[in-house]
Amino acid sequence: MFNYRVLAVLKRELKEKLFSKAFIAMTLLVPGLIVVFGGVQALLYSTDSKNLAFDFVIEKSELIGRFQNEFAESKFVKDQGYQFNYLSMTRNEFQNHLESKKEDLLQEKITGIYYVPNSALADKKIEYYSKSPQNISLNRELDGPINKVLLEYYFNNKSLSVDELKFARRGVDFTGFKVAKDEEISEAGYGNLVLAYAFTFLLYMSLLMMGQMTMQSVIEEKGSKIVEVILSSVSPRELMTGKILGASITGGAQMGVWLLTIITVSSSALLALPKEITLNVKPELAVFIIVNFFIGLIIFTGLFATLGSIFDNPQDASSGSLPLMMLIIIPFFIALSMMENPNKPYAEIASLVPFASIIVMPARMSLIEVPIWQQVFAMGLNIATIFLIFPIAGKIYSVGVLWTGKKPKWSEVVKWLKLKN
Amino acid sequence: MNALEVKDLSKSFGKLKAVDKVSFNVPEGSIFGLIGRNGAGKTTTIRMMMNIYLPDEGEVLLKGVKVGQEFKNRVGYLPEERGLYKKMKVLDTIMYFANLKGKSGKDVQKKAEEYLKKFELYDRRLSKIEDLSKGNQQKVQFIATVLHSPDFIILDEPFSGLDPVNTNLLKDIILELKREGKVIIFSTHLMEFAEKLCDHICMIDKGKVILQGSLSEIKSRFAKRNVSITHQGDVSFLNEVQFVEKVEYFGNSIGVKLKAESDSDNLLKLLIEKGVKIKKFDANDISLHEIFLQLAGNELEEKERSGGFYV
Repeated sequence: MFNYRVLAVLKRELKEKLFSKAFIAMTLLVPGLIVVFGGVQALLYSTDSKNLAFDFVIEKSELIGRFQNEFAESKFVKDQGYQFNYLSMTRNEFQNHLESKKEDLLQEKITGIYYVPNSALADKKIEYYSKSPQNISLNRELDGPINKVLLEYYFNNKSLSVDELKFARRGVDFTGFKVAKDEEISEAGYGNLVLAYAFTFLLYMSLLMMGQMTMQSVIEEKGSKIVEVILSSVSPRELMTGKILGASITGGAQMGVWLLTIITVSSSALLALPKEITLNVKPELAVFIIVNFFIGLIIFTGLFATLGSIFDNPQDASSGSLPLMMLIIIPFFIALSMMENPNKPYAEIASLVPFASIIVMPARMSLIEVPIWQQVFAMGLNIATIFLIFPIAGKIYSVGVLWTGKKPKWSEVVKWLKLKN
Repeated sequence: MNALEVKDLSKSFGKLKAVDKVSFNVPEGSIFGLIGRNGAGKTTTIRMMMNIYLPDEGEVLLKGVKVGQEFKNRVGYLPEERGLYKKMKVLDTIMYFANLKGKSGKDVQKKAEEYLKKFELYDRRLSKIEDLSKGNQQKVQFIATVLHSPDFIILDEPFSGLDPVNTNLLKDIILELKREGKVIIFSTHLMEFAEKLCDHICMIDKGKVILQGSLSEIKSRFAKRNVSITHQGDVSFLNEVQFVEKVEYFGNSIGVKLKAESDSDNLLKLLIEKGVKIKKFDANDISLHEIFLQLAGNELEEKERSGGFYV
């Protein structure tokens, strides 16, 4: 199947795709964009509100000192300069106070008024009055210190030691240990989770991008009628092989650049990653990822090329390509949802099913230990899929590229399979 | 000696029988015309000869052997529906098509450049195809068709869309290639070109061969009782003349079919009597156009296509 004609097509495809300015820009831009998005997100999170002023009204006056002490130690007072005006009032007095401060609240002279009624000592329900009360980050910031004061006050009279109190106050801290067959039980960080996320996303992007690119190029060849000139020298299957190989090598090179960037960035001193997110990529996993990705590219670029051959304009093709895109999009969402719990049964099934396993299996493998037989099974099934669908795809392609005029019906496409061409 | 034999080729697309048992022989060193109206089955026949379509029945033999990839390598094919990669440069495009035929290297590039000079395109060799005029794009396509020195050159409607200057240029090159001993097969629905260039023709209509043979033999066969006249003045009275069987009008010229060969003298006399100015009077001559009309009828309007393949 591979001869000088396929090589000539392949060379042109590589020249057209791999060395095109748009493609190089795209390949370099994606990691750049990831860094930029990450940076913007970090920046947005880091620019917390500053110098906010609050009235902090407590019904029980003896708690004022405790809140003052606790807040004085907190980040939002120390770093962000939040100011609290501590007051003590009964419920009725507070109502009048609230009424008198209404204007100030509306004009945002003060950000908000907290009211800690006596009942809060039993049910921990605190009231917050503000022009914009739904402030999640503010609630998150104050939650800890307020809880601490209430808790300590609650247990104060219950003759508990300081240590006992500390214990009671603590949340549960999970430390994950990865149990793997052939290595010692080790503490697992979040590094592989991050990698699984990043890789799943890149795989998804790359498959869609290369698929679409191949489809467009087939449509262009068909639309511009160049395909007949080419077919006078090569067979449709040779042309298709050259195109699929060209797209797969291009996609592989792109993924190589992306992965290298990830690995270099994550292992360089530039970004001193905390211990929890260090990567633990075994060589077998890396090999599986590369081979699996290449198989995925061949399958999907082949299918997209076939689809492109059926239509002769991008509009018809894009509506026709939806079912095919679902084969990439649905596994992508399965892979994402799996990150929460890699042991979900549907994740296990999806990691074995042809098409879906291309995206789900590598994500699953980077999270948990997947039995060897499952890895081999999934890959074997995908390779078998290639052998099963390509004679059909090749047939449709051979007929499709020379079809012109109105958009064929799917029933007609099925009939093409019976045509001798 | 026949260079190529086409035997009983048939091809159907669904219910449409595009080509129905077409057979013809292409002699060595000839210019062979595959002629017929649009949709007659010429392109499908050529595609089967090129192995782009597999025939339902029949075969194409190259010196007695069924054609395959080897034939493809020896053919230069200019399809009716032309196209090039718009973003590719002129020289790259030409070299790409040569590579597909297994030709590469400096010699081929040198030859490509010679052709570009001949077609006055050398200065544009590094331009993108999309920056070229349509006529120039056709020239690039033609160079790509002949660069690998094919023994067979198949041209499907080669003159469509060309201006008179480029038509002449292409015609000269076709004749030059013939002198080099190449076999040239071209399809056209323009009878004048076929008449001027071809040695042999095969006329196809509705997927079937309706006429074939050497052009001179065919013409002499059909020319009996036929007179070609180039004239000035009204000749509409001829329809009423008793010894005239049929008149075909072609602008300044007419073709008259007589009831008996001996009536040509009477016809000449009558025209002079009626004051018609005669520039040319050719007894026993007939144009290919007239032959075609006689055989295929008058339905020359283009068949509408709602979708399907070019046939």
